[in-house]
Amino acid sequence: MRYLWKLHEEFERAQRKIAPPLAGDTAQAMFWNAVALRSDQVWLRYKKFGIWQSLTWQQTADQVEAVTAGLIALGLAVQDRVAIISNTRAEWVLADLAALSAAATTVGVYPTDSPSQLSYVINDSSARFIFVEDEEQLDKALSVMDECPSLGRVIVMDEKGLSNYQHDRVLGWSALLELGRLALGAAPGMVKERLAQQRTDHLAMLVYTSGTTGKPKGAMHHQEGLVYAIRAHSKIIWQNPTDERMCFLPLCHIAERIGGAFISMYTGTRINFVENPETVPENIREIAPTVVLAVPRVWEKFHSGVMLALSESTPLQQRLFHAAIGLGLRIADRVLGGQRVPLMERIGYVLAQWLVLANVRKSIGLDRARVLLTGAAPISPQLIRWFFALGSPMLELWGMTETCAASSANRPGHIKLGSIGQAAEHNEMRIDPQTGEILVQGKNVFSGYLNNPEKTAEAFTPDGWLRTGDVATVDGQGFFTIVDRMKDIIITAGGKNITPSELENELKASPYITDAVVIGDRKPYLTAIIMVDHDNVEHFALSRDIRFTNYESLTRSQEVVDLIAAEVAGVNQRYARVEQIKKFRLLGKKLTPEDEEVTPTMKLKRKLILDRYTPMIEAMYAEP
Amino acid sequence: MSQQAADLLVVSSVESAYGPIKAIRGVSLKVAASSIVTLLGSNGAGKTTLLKTISGIMDPLRGSIEFRHQNISGFDPARIVQMGLSHVPEGREVFPLLTVHENLLMGAYTRSDRDAVAKDMERAYGYFPILSQRRDQDAGLLSGGQQQMLAIARALLSSPRMILMDEPSLGLSPKLTKEIFEIIVRINRESGTSILLIEQNAHMALNTADYGYVLENGRVVLEDQCDRLREKEDIREFYLGMKQQGVRGDRRWKKKKTWR
Repeated sequence: MRYLWKLHEEFERAQRKIAPPLAGDTAQAMFWNAVALRSDQVWLRYKKFGIWQSLTWQQTADQVEAVTAGLIALGLAVQDRVAIISNTRAEWVLADLAALSAAATTVGVYPTDSPSQLSYVINDSSARFIFVEDEEQLDKALSVMDECPSLGRVIVMDEKGLSNYQHDRVLGWSALLELGRLALGAAPGMVKERLAQQRTDHLAMLVYTSGTTGKPKGAMHHQEGLVYAIRAHSKIIWQNPTDERMCFLPLCHIAERIGGAFISMYTGTRINFVENPETVPENIREIAPTVVLAVPRVWEKFHSGVMLALSESTPLQQRLFHAAIGLGLRIADRVLGGQRVPLMERIGYVLAQWLVLANVRKSIGLDRARVLLTGAAPISPQLIRWFFALGSPMLELWGMTETCAASSANRPGHIKLGSIGQAAEHNEMRIDPQTGEILVQGKNVFSGYLNNPEKTAEAFTPDGWLRTGDVATVDGQGFFTIVDRMKDIIITAGGKNITPSELENELKASPYITDAVVIGDRKPYLTAIIMVDHDNVEHFALSRDIRFTNYESLTRSQEVVDLIAAEVAGVNQRYARVEQIKKFRLLGKKLTPEDEEVTPTMKLKRKLILDRYTPMIEAMYAEP
Repeated sequence: MSQQAADLLVVSSVESAYGPIKAIRGVSLKVAASSIVTLLGSNGAGKTTLLKTISGIMDPLRGSIEFRHQNISGFDPARIVQMGLSHVPEGREVFPLLTVHENLLMGAYTRSDRDAVAKDMERAYGYFPILSQRRDQDAGLLSGGQQQMLAIARALLSSPRMILMDEPSLGLSPKLTKEIFEIIVRINRESGTSILLIEQNAHMALNTADYGYVLENGRVVLEDQCDRLREKEDIREFYLGMKQQGVRGDRRWKKKKTWR
């Protein structure tokens, strides 16, 4: 049970358990130092045939050593590139650490990427090896092998269904381990020798940004910056060896890579891997993590899941819930405003936790979560407040691939709702007086885009500050508040500046709306293209006996259109006339992460939506 | 309005469950008069449950079923048969110890118009001459194909406006399957009887029916004219077995279904 007025005491208690700083000038050196310190403790946990398995630091190290040796035996040279195309799983981290231990560079690829995107990344990074998750990803790699001259070997992590498959350039994970162990038998010191060749100016990782326009760009992070960023994150994500983390976001994304895997390596925190992206709701209940870093989409899902379950419960339960969460919100506001919480409210809240809120948190797997972290996309402040009310404090972070994850953060005692927090200690942030853009400087900032001096030059100011592309304001205490992406700001035909993400976030807070794109640049009024939440809208339709067959017919039914219209009208109420959404259309196509219109985390890509749905958009402006 | 008048069966947002397990979660579909509509879907998709719910063997938790513009949900199955909706269950389910003729009479159990029954009996024997030869044999001694014919003939004897057919090809040879399907089409064409057909042989079903629905996990994921369904990529791969070879000979993984 979590009492918001004890927030600081709890943070201090958790902080006392923090592990001492880990030595090491490179990420791999940190790992091997951690192994020496914590050999018998459990580090990685994953599920196999439905049963949780664990790897201690020493067992992890044995596998990493064998994989490293195997890669070296196959001819991996210092600073070669190793690509990984896989969902989040233990082998991802093992392969990453092995590639780093071989003084190579890791390149993460989204498993939802198409063969042509994969081929682009392999060629751009001139990757020599690629780890593929399974048969499906293997087929993807094989289909582009001929267009990728740099590519030598393909290593399959999950060999299911491939026992009879022979290909002279394809190798199973177990075969690689065996090869590595044989090589180690012949030359026991080979991995240590390679580790000795590590340098802080080595390129550690290439992170390809999803690139809504044009080709993806490979952001370069060198060892020095990476290690600096990992250490810095221990001052933002306060976790200790007794914490449990859940690893589930794509590891090729900087948030889970630094804020999940590497930070847990640094702090000695256990990492629990989900089975696959679809099983997150079940796995989180099994793991009951104590620290959770997730993107807003996940938090929105949790919220709408609770609200949906609530609508099916009895009137008494509903009344209790609303009373409990109402009290929680009041207390949250007091705590966040720095006020004392009166005794009567405390007593009421203890009761509310005991009767209602603790069960709600348990039902979504957050019963042990002492802190929630959100980042990588804008989130509605109301949602943060709601989680506070539930008894799970949520801190918003802000950062990007180019800043090697978090750059600013809300910290206990320094929280401002709706802001991205204050600049973290490890880097400087300021606002460009001309454009209002956030500029960042620090050792964590990336060293440029691979093979792309033009874009690299564009990313920096003449005096070397990173242009983040986010427009923000800053208050007297140094709290930054994002206005919008610079290139997304809408100027209507009437000359009014509009920040679409603000409206979009308000829309997304509705349980019936997954995402929305607000349109109106050089147009007389604002319109929106909306992607509805399939489960919740379907539930709505069923409970009102609305006829529909599949997703498309659901989005076309008048009642659903009216439902969304009501949600839009609710958002419009809070805005001035020129800022209101006059018309909207629902996307009739059920999008999956493989579709180009959405990012792997199911965010609509503005530019692509604007291009693809031009007729739909024009129709909204054509009719009277 | 003419479009609506032609709809013989209108199922709206129906949900059915076996105890705590929901088998269909909000299915809507329509069957026009004199048409053949097929329901496709993998095992456990809820196809049979849907037919059972329509014919009144199961009561829906929610939603409505309209047959000839009358809400029949919750009606007694016998009354539904009297209204002209007949069900040919999965696995034939003939009365094994009754003769063929007696089985057919069971089909006419709810009727009192003897002359018309006699005419329908002749018509049924006309469709399935083999049954006429075996009229005094116990139904349990018939071959699988003949039992299926008997089950269909029995349904005809209630003089239905519409027949629900649950996998008529189950356990039959390809040749017999073809014969049965030819007769199904004849029944439809000659007497204008609508047919709602569940069939595992998607190829056969899509060639026979006018309109099709794809059911998955108790929901409709796709509906269209059959000739258009046949062209959809997911239908081709998952129902018609025309999968792309892939880079290796034996592709085991399945691509994600998008139902577009």
